[in-house]
Amino acid sequence: MELLLSQLINGVSVSAMLFIAALGLVIIFGLMDVVNMAHGDLIMLGAYITYFVTTVFHASFFLAMAVAFILTALFGVVIEATLIKKLYGKVAETLLATFALSIIIQQVVRMTMGPEDKFVGLPIEGSLTVGSIVIPQYNLFLIAISILILLATLGLFFKTSFGMQLRAVTKNRSMSQCLGINTTRIDSLTFALGSGLAGLAGALLAPVKSVTPYMGTAYIVDGFLTVVLGGFTSIIGTAASSVVISESVTAMAGYMSEITARVLVFCIIIILIRFKPEGLFTSERR
Amino acid sequence: MLNKIRNLGIEKYIDLILLIFLISFPLLASPFRVELMSKCVIYLIFALSLDILWGSAGLMNLGHAMFFGLGGYVLALSYAVKNGVPAFMVSFGVTELPWFMQILQNQAVAFLLGLLVPGAVAALLGYFIFTSRVKGVFFNIITLALASLIELFFNNQQKYTGGANGISGLPPLSFGGSPLSILETYYLVLVVALLVYIFCRWLNNCRFGLILRSVRENESRLQFLGFNPAAFKLVVFVVSGMIAGLSGMLYVPVNSFISPNNIGVVFSTSVLVWLAVGGRGNLTGAMIGAFLITWMESLLSERLDDSWQLVLGAVMLIVVVFFPKGIIGTLIDWRKNKTGHQQPSECDDSAEQAITPDNYNVIREKV
Repeated sequence: MELLLSQLINGVSVSAMLFIAALGLVIIFGLMDVVNMAHGDLIMLGAYITYFVTTVFHASFFLAMAVAFILTALFGVVIEATLIKKLYGKVAETLLATFALSIIIQQVVRMTMGPEDKFVGLPIEGSLTVGSIVIPQYNLFLIAISILILLATLGLFFKTSFGMQLRAVTKNRSMSQCLGINTTRIDSLTFALGSGLAGLAGALLAPVKSVTPYMGTAYIVDGFLTVVLGGFTSIIGTAASSVVISESVTAMAGYMSEITARVLVFCIIIILIRFKPEGLFTSERR
Repeated sequence: MLNKIRNLGIEKYIDLILLIFLISFPLLASPFRVELMSKCVIYLIFALSLDILWGSAGLMNLGHAMFFGLGGYVLALSYAVKNGVPAFMVSFGVTELPWFMQILQNQAVAFLLGLLVPGAVAALLGYFIFTSRVKGVFFNIITLALASLIELFFNNQQKYTGGANGISGLPPLSFGGSPLSILETYYLVLVVALLVYIFCRWLNNCRFGLILRSVRENESRLQFLGFNPAAFKLVVFVVSGMIAGLSGMLYVPVNSFISPNNIGVVFSTSVLVWLAVGGRGNLTGAMIGAFLITWMESLLSERLDDSWQLVLGAVMLIVVVFFPKGIIGTLIDWRKNKTGHQQPSECDDSAEQAITPDNYNVIREKV
């Protein structure tokens, strides 16, 4: 029982990490219909930026978060303008192109930084002890910041004029153009936002994971599973499904190997999708 | 007769040249290169298996290597357990073979399972994906996720799969007790490749292939005509998985080693790159892509270590952005423009053309 409880508590912080990693993917995929296979590598870039800011330049971790967000967002703008813009509407081609981009980014990073792991120190040390369960304070920070990111994104989408324009473009692109919305600018900004969130995810994950050129691949798979389960367009759905996935994996991992747990969860997702193809947490269908 | 030859698509000429080249290759090259070439021919089979899925039916499988790897692992395990519990299992404390390994001790059963296991995985996965009304891109994502999970799973189950080290020291193909030489193995692989090629050509040209192409071009219109696209997608997915499994089985004795690298995401990427570069939907593109890239890979990796992947990524990016139809697809288009009349090439008689109100009845009767 105690094992289950500690696994469940552990699962909350894993959910937070998964949500942060998947959010940018949902925004780009759900709103722009672009499958960004390079998303994991943007996370990796964010982690490397954090490594440079904190370990090499000895600056604060919070500065690193901001720098990671801004730099990857700028990189996202460049990718969108040079590559994605040519391929809108062609899902298979964008998938292949970003796949190729992902290989290129990985190799460039591996060649310039070396294949070995880089370590980023925990910005918040110490841990909380409840009974026999130990919770690192950084995990609490992760949970708090993921809730903050969720609220900020929702606010951006539903309370600002940018969010309103974005939702309009998603629903009906040509009509929005007729109404004078600059759709090119919206596309560019959306991609920047998604990429920036990936960079931020990289910054937040860097202290708890080892930073390697290939770290992105793991997140892209988990991220896509989250998107599939949560519904393709829903941000709340992404949050809910990252909790469901992470909690079930960590709860089961207490009793079997983590990989086996993930295979089981994967099978359950496939079966669920058969009966509820729009995702578990979306009620309305476009 | 002469006219018929003249009207033969350019891709058929390339196929013929490739075949002649492959048959005569051992006459010119060293045994080391012949061994490399056997591997390359196995990759051709693997590429063909993806082309009937992606090129014909438009189902881009991002984790196609899982079928290759499953077929390969079944045969590799069967070799490993032939004479009792293998060393790597003993080192993990396995003293008695579990039931699923005992089955594999029979070579004939193992060979059959090498086809059936990938087929069964494809059937299960396909049933759940295709009969659901989920968006098209879901298939890509789920296959990618599955390939990555299977790779992790095979890495993790060290007891039975040898973990990250894989299974090594596997014997070459043998026929009636005596092992085949490199040359004999090469020609055996080539014959299998030729049979698979003929099968795929036939599949693409028969009514089934026609319907597959309409699945790719316009699925809802196919539904209006009273077909069930899910059934066709399921069948082609299973067939493609089994051919990939076959190529995986051939790979094991030729390479004498299999590891989780052969089942995972990176290898799946490679086969995607072959098809993207060569062009898909006409079989030739898949083979040329596989051929060019594996040779480029073996030549470049001798000089550049791992950096050839960078070259690979760059080539892929350029092809996707500037030649979305791949080398062979672009070549076919170019020739068509040049000669100015419609070539009876396969990748162009799309379902868009095939099913229109005017010829609806004709097609309905034909099928």
